[in-house]
Amino acid sequence: MTAGVYVAAELVWPTIDWGLPALSFGRLRTAHTTLVLFGFGVSALIGTAFYSVQRTSHVRLFAPGLAWAVFYAWQAAIVLGAVSILAGWNAGKEYAELEWPFDLAITAAWVGFAIVFFGTIAKRKVDAIYISNWFYGALIIVVAMLHIVNSLALPVTAGKSYSLFAGAQDAVVQWWYGHNAVGFLLTGGFLGMLYYFLPKQSEQPIWSYRLSIIAFWAFVYTYIWAGPHHLHYHAVPEWLQSLGMVMSLILLAPSWATLVNGIMTVSGAAGKLKTDPALKFIVLALAFYGLATFEGPMLAIKSVNVFSHFTEWTIGHVHSGALGWNALITFGTFYFLVPRLAGAPLYSARLANIHFWLALGGTILYALAMWGAGVSQGVLWLSLDELGEVRFSFNDVMAAMRPYYLLRFLAGLMFLAGAVLMAWNLARTVAGRRTILVAPPAIVGAGAPA
Amino acid sequence: MSWLSLHHRLERHTGLLIFGILLVSAIGGMVQLLPIVSEDTHGHGLPGSMLYSALELEGRDIYIRESCSTCHTQQIRPLLAEVKRYGPYSRAEEFVYDRPFLWGSKRTGPDLHRIGGRYSDVWHRLHLIDPRSVVPASIMPAYPWLATNAADHRGSIQARMRALAKLGHPYTAVDISGAPAGLEGKTELDAVIAYLQSMGRSNGGQAQP
Amino acid sequence: MPARFSILQIGKVLFAPGEVFNAIAAESPSAGRVFFRGALWLGLLPPLFAYFGTMEFGWRLGVEPVYLPQETVLAICVIYFAALLIGFLSSAIIARWMAATYDASQSLGRCLALMAIVGAPLAVGSIVHLYPHVFLNVLVLVPVLIWCMYLLYRGLPVVLGTGPNRGMLMASALIAYLLVALVSLLGIMVALWGSGIGPRIGT
Repeated sequence: MTAGVYVAAELVWPTIDWGLPALSFGRLRTAHTTLVLFGFGVSALIGTAFYSVQRTSHVRLFAPGLAWAVFYAWQAAIVLGAVSILAGWNAGKEYAELEWPFDLAITAAWVGFAIVFFGTIAKRKVDAIYISNWFYGALIIVVAMLHIVNSLALPVTAGKSYSLFAGAQDAVVQWWYGHNAVGFLLTGGFLGMLYYFLPKQSEQPIWSYRLSIIAFWAFVYTYIWAGPHHLHYHAVPEWLQSLGMVMSLILLAPSWATLVNGIMTVSGAAGKLKTDPALKFIVLALAFYGLATFEGPMLAIKSVNVFSHFTEWTIGHVHSGALGWNALITFGTFYFLVPRLAGAPLYSARLANIHFWLALGGTILYALAMWGAGVSQGVLWLSLDELGEVRFSFNDVMAAMRPYYLLRFLAGLMFLAGAVLMAWNLARTVAGRRTILVAPPAIVGAGAPA
Repeated sequence: MSWLSLHHRLERHTGLLIFGILLVSAIGGMVQLLPIVSEDTHGHGLPGSMLYSALELEGRDIYIRESCSTCHTQQIRPLLAEVKRYGPYSRAEEFVYDRPFLWGSKRTGPDLHRIGGRYSDVWHRLHLIDPRSVVPASIMPAYPWLATNAADHRGSIQARMRALAKLGHPYTAVDISGAPAGLEGKTELDAVIAYLQSMGRSNGGQAQP
Repeated sequence: MPARFSILQIGKVLFAPGEVFNAIAAESPSAGRVFFRGALWLGLLPPLFAYFGTMEFGWRLGVEPVYLPQETVLAICVIYFAALLIGFLSSAIIARWMAATYDASQSLGRCLALMAIVGAPLAVGSIVHLYPHVFLNVLVLVPVLIWCMYLLYRGLPVVLGTGPNRGMLMASALIAYLLVALVSLLGIMVALWGSGIGPRIGT
């Protein structure tokens, strides 16, 4: 996140890279996306998956040694991977910029993740596999498939390879990967988190089991088709673009089925909301999940995409989802989990509350600044004058974006400040304590969450 | 068996669940990717399309290294305002030797697909070393190190060209053996400028404006 | 607000909202009264400010101002008002629809009153439309929006009589609706403009 705030600042004050290649916007922004997606996002997912799979299966982890190996291997791969990007190793494909040695390393770690996760499920003591595990499972399987195919490349040197696919073919493969990395990592995986921690935290069962099933399979099937909405009016076949658009709209149904399930689950909660900051984060994360999964299909409509493509609007969409949904639900989950694992109450509920408003304010400011910027850009770029010529030069439009970039930088700063508060709060919560091992509970009823 | 009871079985069997997820998620990819990826595109290049020379290839690889696609696109859409601003819209045949493709997804800076020939080499030199010297309001980062680094200082150009040849790029043995000589005395800046000037030269198969 | 809910109470709404919330909870105004004595007049403010601002200064998106012909500006302001009306009414109706789930009051009047108070800062803040510079408007209206969200969290439990917990949950659900409505507005707007229904910017 710090890298994100720094690159946001670079868009306002471009000389703060001090002439250093490693701080240069292109490299640093790529390091930012790699770190937040694979460092923050995946770590949160693997961590919560390992926790919740034990609880829902009523057994300890399968191959705990391997689980530790996955942890160290993943952290090392991503940290070193980010350093490699700053040093200039770059495969050139979005959200898949790590070069082939790192691709192999993360694949190996991912296989370890799969073995531990599915191994734990296989030795479960309950009959049915709980729904959160379907989503984590889908995360593991589909991301593996996407990563392996999209990263196919011919290595030349340690830090350089060439993609197996070229040109328009590469574009189609890339966005099959890119969109579904969002779909199964940022959406599917975090839905796994939601389906475990929301009922846990609100002490309510999932509202509708049947809806969960339909939503899950529709989700897994439909999301994959939406990739070509990144390629509207590009040099790819018309049928592919239209198919991507239509499927993106259909995707609204399973996404929102899950949203309804979540909202209705938590609506029955009473009791400890006021005193418990974790649930506030999770509940608001649901609101932003609704926003992001609505905005996505809307942006996939060609007549909207004409304006939004290549603009700041897309960035606004990404961050309202990444900050509003992914980060917020992760924060809520951390506030729930860490005190539990430490066997101590959260150090300061007041700080968590301040964090909540910083996170909310930062996200709203970010989204609105980018909406303002993006719609302006889209409109201005496409404007023609009375003679049918382009009305505004690119440079003029770019200069007009500067105030929005400043607002976005401030929004990021707010969000980061909140996260720092959380880190401190959680650190104080665990200070001097050892992790307690909570024995798996007795089985209460078929399929009930732990 | 009804759908519900099928799911009932899947959620009780780890292996079946894994297989089910894989099967269901693979369908979309197969329908959308296979028809496009299985085409052999190398026969479809436009005249004058873009097999990169050694210097241009080096420039392209530097463009990738510096993540220029983060801010610059290489895809002109078939929209009137876009064609007026950037030139003829981009056609698939122009990208057959682009590994990986660099269409980009964000225009913080302008589209570059037909930048070739629009600005002089000297302009590019000044602009890359300090963008604000030619465009005062620019927020592009400066790339002074390109002028001080020798092109292909790791000496991998031949290996790279051989790898591309394996993937179908029609480099001849003469192209590859002559590559280091072509890069002799050149800086990374020369390479990037060569790459930029090469972009869009096929002009979508249309005559130059 | 001892006797009536009306726009004349706007000062209290902005600076002592707690009192206003309590008064509405006690008084439970009728839907008609809320709308015709308060909300309608609040809702007229933004299009009015926008009209005068646009005619005088043009739309400023950060480059040269774009001046539009009067008929166009008038049409846009009328549509703006219609959009605000739809947004306001739909939010209240959705709140009433959600009320059963959250054990809230099902009185339309209360829901309208709540949304009117929540929207009041935006209506007053829209004075910034008098200078239609997009960035300035974003700068002013985003903090105002956050203030509105705060009012929603604070006022809903009181006005609709939920407990504090249910109130928080319902408010979050409403925020989800409002975010979606806002982004739909953006999408519908650009889609219409792209089809030629909108100001002539030559797309």
